[in-house]
Amino acid sequence: MAKTKPVIVIVSLTCCEGCQVAILDLGEKFLELSGKVQLGDFAFLEESPELYHYDIVFVEGAPITEQNIQRLKDLRSRSKILVALGACAALGGIAEIKNYQDKEERMRYVYKNIEDINNPDIKPLSAYVKVDLEIPGCPINKDEFLAVAKKLIAGIPVKIPQRPVCYDCQIKRNECLLQKGEPCLGPITLGGCNAPCPSSNYPCDGCRGLLAGASYQNPMKQLAKQGFNEQEVKLILQRFGVEDTIYPDKTI
Amino acid sequence: MEIKIDHIAKIEGHAGFAADIIDGRVDKARLEVQEGARLLEGILRGRDVYEVSQISARICGVCPVVHNLTSLKALEKALDIEISENTALLRQLMMLGQLINSHALHLFFFSLSDFFGIGKDLELIKKYPARAKDALLVRNFGNRLIEVIGGRSIHPLTPTIGGFLKLPDKQKLTELFKKTDRVLTSAENLAKLFLNLEYPDYIRTAPFVSLSQKPAYAIYDGLIKISGEAVEAPAKFLEIVEQYQLTGSAVKRSLYQGKPFMVGAVSRLNNNATFLNPAAKKMFSAAKIRLPNFNPFYNIPAQALEIVHRVEESEKLLRKILSKDLTKNDIAEKKHLVKTRLAKIKDATAGTAAIEAPRGTLYYFYEITPGGKIANCRIITPTAQNLARLEEDLKDYLPEILGTKNVCRADCQAKIKMLVRAYDPCLTCATH
Repeated sequence: MAKTKPVIVIVSLTCCEGCQVAILDLGEKFLELSGKVQLGDFAFLEESPELYHYDIVFVEGAPITEQNIQRLKDLRSRSKILVALGACAALGGIAEIKNYQDKEERMRYVYKNIEDINNPDIKPLSAYVKVDLEIPGCPINKDEFLAVAKKLIAGIPVKIPQRPVCYDCQIKRNECLLQKGEPCLGPITLGGCNAPCPSSNYPCDGCRGLLAGASYQNPMKQLAKQGFNEQEVKLILQRFGVEDTIYPDKTI
Repeated sequence: MEIKIDHIAKIEGHAGFAADIIDGRVDKARLEVQEGARLLEGILRGRDVYEVSQISARICGVCPVVHNLTSLKALEKALDIEISENTALLRQLMMLGQLINSHALHLFFFSLSDFFGIGKDLELIKKYPARAKDALLVRNFGNRLIEVIGGRSIHPLTPTIGGFLKLPDKQKLTELFKKTDRVLTSAENLAKLFLNLEYPDYIRTAPFVSLSQKPAYAIYDGLIKISGEAVEAPAKFLEIVEQYQLTGSAVKRSLYQGKPFMVGAVSRLNNNATFLNPAAKKMFSAAKIRLPNFNPFYNIPAQALEIVHRVEESEKLLRKILSKDLTKNDIAEKKHLVKTRLAKIKDATAGTAAIEAPRGTLYYFYEITPGGKIANCRIITPTAQNLARLEEDLKDYLPEILGTKNVCRADCQAKIKMLVRAYDPCLTCATH
């Protein structure tokens, strides 16, 4: 009997589903990969019944509804490896902006009838379940996903190298946006993205989360020196929910 | 009798279906949307005009370009900022990329399997390897258009108020231009496949709505045309559209003059078919589709025709942009202009914009403070408009597929899913 193929699922909670789209956009590379596994559930491509056990589950999106949270816990209990896919799953994503605002007021602004609509603080998957690996980014870097998925399938442990976005930016020989006076978070943000943002003259806004062990104070001082006030900087840090890490005590 | 489908795969976002049938009469037919409320219109308030179009693009990973650009257009309208002709051309090319890549995804990967009773696309790909290649080639072309101009295909980076942060490499645009012939052949292959499928013979009447701007198959500018006749400015239409919320639902449904209406490919075809490009028009004539078409399943062949039309349109616009010099004027150095405009605002200034997203007309409204922050925001997505229409159709269609039977088994459930998928709903957009 042939060795059984590992069972893999790709699941979304609440999000834009752009990370799933990125995976699909691997095109033939994804089809090649999917031949090596048993695809348990990938709602974009499959209409398949739930299986009892999963080897690897990739979860994109943030848990917002009660069903999202239940689904996440259920998946965890049935999976060997759980991978958080993208900024929403790894950090909370743009939905987390409301954590820095009056979220009840925001809810009432959008809906007349707020009954039965969940409005929790947005937290990453790791606040609910054990997460084995985070593939960050908004959206994910699809080539990084492919490399990581191949290793996981082969049973090789994976770690995302702790290097700043500046590392990727220098490889691309980009002009430094920070030095040009733009509010770029490259020095304190985890790289591995190939720096698509600075390469497009768009300053890094930290979608891959903070670089472990980076010193945040100097870059913040640098931005202040360049004329950005604390409130302006905080608005940027809120986009992907890292303000509370840098300024743990206070919000705007 | 109760009909319940817990989860409908192969749509964008999560939804189930529930219906109640009492004495052979459909009492309720609902798409149960299972997306969390991200409160986008709320969280954009108080945020800077320069960042909101990047945040709002995250409403949808399938159609981020149209969210990004509609947001920018609404801001520019509010701030009275004009864009250059080249900027408009490049934005339209990005939109064509988006409309092409989204339709290719929906047609081949979401909807096609419904016609063969195959739940798994990987099997479908084995059965139609050549068409799968066509679909991937066409989708990649759309992605590349966005990537070359926008810096990235999902959540593009370069578009900003007044223009672009960085202009595309002309060499890369030339490479895309050279591919258009090959891509058009694949688009035609796909369209042939979809025009030859057998669609359920289900006809109803309903208002159909899209942008319209003679002599174009409008996507980026124009007025809102309702059922081929009445015309309204987007801001006016936004006032007329009535949105309502069902208890516990995080999606707002929409009505026009008290009636559920349909937006998207078949509505665009109904309003604008005269302006299809030659190859698309030829296929349209050969298919003998009579307009106005009131069969919602025809959203599928309409999308297929649109892909052909848009590849032709991309070729035209690429040729045009390649004949021009991209200059500094197209790069947004309009910060001073934004500042001047903001300085003139007394209390607030407002702007509305509408463009054709893959699934139908998308509206953004912003009110901006003198400090350059968002005071108020309203976003109406295509699926938020289509949802009430889809439910009305399901209610109407159910007795036909149930017949005299008292249960909705697999084949009946398959037809429900098929109609849902024909609308190409995006529940993440609908909820946002």
